[in-house]
Amino acid sequence: MAPVLSVEGLSARYGSVEALHPADLALGHGELVAVLGPNGAGKSTLLRAIMGLTPGSGRVRFEGTELPRDDPRAVTMRGVVLVPEGRGIFGPMTVRENLDLGAYLLPGRGGEFAARLEQVFALFPRLKDRQSQLAGSLSGGEQQMLAIGRALMAAPRLLLLDEPSLGLAPRLAAEILETLGRLNRAGLAILLVEQRAPLALKLARRAYLLAVGRIVAEVTPDQIASPHDLARYYFAA
Amino acid sequence: MPETTFLIQTLVSGVGTGFIYGLIGIGFCVIYNASGIVNFAQGVFVMLGGMITHALLTRAGLPLPLAALVAVVAVALIGVVIERAVVRPLWRRNATMFVMILATLAAQIVIERLTLLAAGDQPKTLPGFSDAAPLRIGGIAIGVQLLWIAGVSLLLVGALALFFARTRTGRAMRACAINREAAALMGIPVARMLGFSFALSAGLGAVAGILITPTQYTAFNVGVPFAISGFIAAILGGFGSALGAFAGGIMLGVAQALAIVLFGAGFKNVAALSILLLFLLARPAGLFGKAH
Ligand SMILES: Nc1ncnc2c1ncn2[C@@H]1O[C@H](COP(=O)(O)OP(=O)(O)OP(=O)(O)O)[C@@H](O)[C@H]1O
Ligand SMILES: [Mg+2]
Repeated sequence: MAPVLSVEGLSARYGSVEALHPADLALGHGELVAVLGPNGAGKSTLLRAIMGLTPGSGRVRFEGTELPRDDPRAVTMRGVVLVPEGRGIFGPMTVRENLDLGAYLLPGRGGEFAARLEQVFALFPRLKDRQSQLAGSLSGGEQQMLAIGRALMAAPRLLLLDEPSLGLAPRLAAEILETLGRLNRAGLAILLVEQRAPLALKLARRAYLLAVGRIVAEVTPDQIASPHDLARYYFAA
Repeated sequence: MPETTFLIQTLVSGVGTGFIYGLIGIGFCVIYNASGIVNFAQGVFVMLGGMITHALLTRAGLPLPLAALVAVVAVALIGVVIERAVVRPLWRRNATMFVMILATLAAQIVIERLTLLAAGDQPKTLPGFSDAAPLRIGGIAIGVQLLWIAGVSLLLVGALALFFARTRTGRAMRACAINREAAALMGIPVARMLGFSFALSAGLGAVAGILITPTQYTAFNVGVPFAISGFIAAILGGFGSALGAFAGGIMLGVAQALAIVLFGAGFKNVAALSILLLFLLARPAGLFGKAH
């Protein structure tokens, strides 16, 4: 069976700086795969290039057909949804308005919309209590929940997440990643970019290690027993 | 007390002009919010609203309501053309605010000159929307056109508020204003929203131009002064807040009217620019913004 996502020779540059050297990766149905790497490794660039937010060359195929390289909207329409770095929530709008906009491409107050909303509230009960609160006044953790909830409103078939634990207290970060685990067990394919390797490796069956713009290794969690193991891979690059 | 009635009369007419400034100010905000662009061709919409209505009325013989309606739609389309031809190519290239201001200003001048060639330099006016006698309250006369201005403006402001708060497109436009990239990631067609904001803003400008023309006149070159007043109204309102711009417009209209009766007609612009400076210095976030 064709993988859900297959990336071949995807590269991206900012001016003359090649931030992502041609990268290959694949993600199977129902898989949760992590991308780990230090600051500036090119993790966000990789996700942005997949979405077509950052111009790049190479091929990205989703469920067997090629995704356009310069049209994030079309990529979202196909079911590939990104929770961007920094969350990108609409602060001056209410929680509910944010969630409604998540379903922009699948609007309507019909049963399917209501069901997705219920699903999001079941995953993040705190959002349900704060529907009419302005998103910008939520705590950092709640904002991340909203960002993920909003992405789920688009009924994604592949979810890309860029450091969902960023800036969160360890317990909250663990809670959010645990929720991602639940989504994945329910069948959602997830590509998870993280800097907190131990957290991500608890969920992921495989991880790609990224350093200075290159995928330097593909590992399984048991190969990374300590931070030293990670550092070894990064420095080998 | 003729003094008091005169003063109140002045305030009333100031509020009327203020509504117009407010509508133009909202036009600036709608585009700015959707794109971060300050569209200096805004005055052209006001001018074209009056001029096209006049042409349809006198040359094509349309009845006033129909002429006005056709003019608003035509100006909205012209707004879309300006967006497609001038703004979007620059916007895609991430042109700076400065380049954008220059480009829209150039569009303003081109359209102004084309209008001069097509319609000549003679001022034109429109008949009042209804020719009832002015409303008299005490010693104060409120012209019927002023009531039209107030009624239509308030209706439009209410409709806009509903549009941005309740409709899918209105919310999507707000989302583009807050975070363009995140909006694109929701599947919102960001560029189309920009075109839509130009149509909306141009339509608003045209309505303002049609409403005000019966009380004064219109000509190919009235756009810039109106645009400046609308721009000041938008700044007073904290640039971006539609309600703020509307309140700012009323404030500006009243200030100008007072300055004219207290100090003479020459002080109209002095009042406008003084109040602008005062706000820039003391309250840069505008009427309803957080004070700094
Ligand atoms: N818009 C940009 N213009 C120029 N260079 C950029 C831009 N965005 C990122 N870069 C550079 O590209 C490289 C990769 O950046 P990227 O944001 O992908 O890293 P990252 O792995 O996501 O880092 P972090 O963990 O800090 O988020 C960095 O060297 C960064 O400085
Ligand atoms: Mg990053």
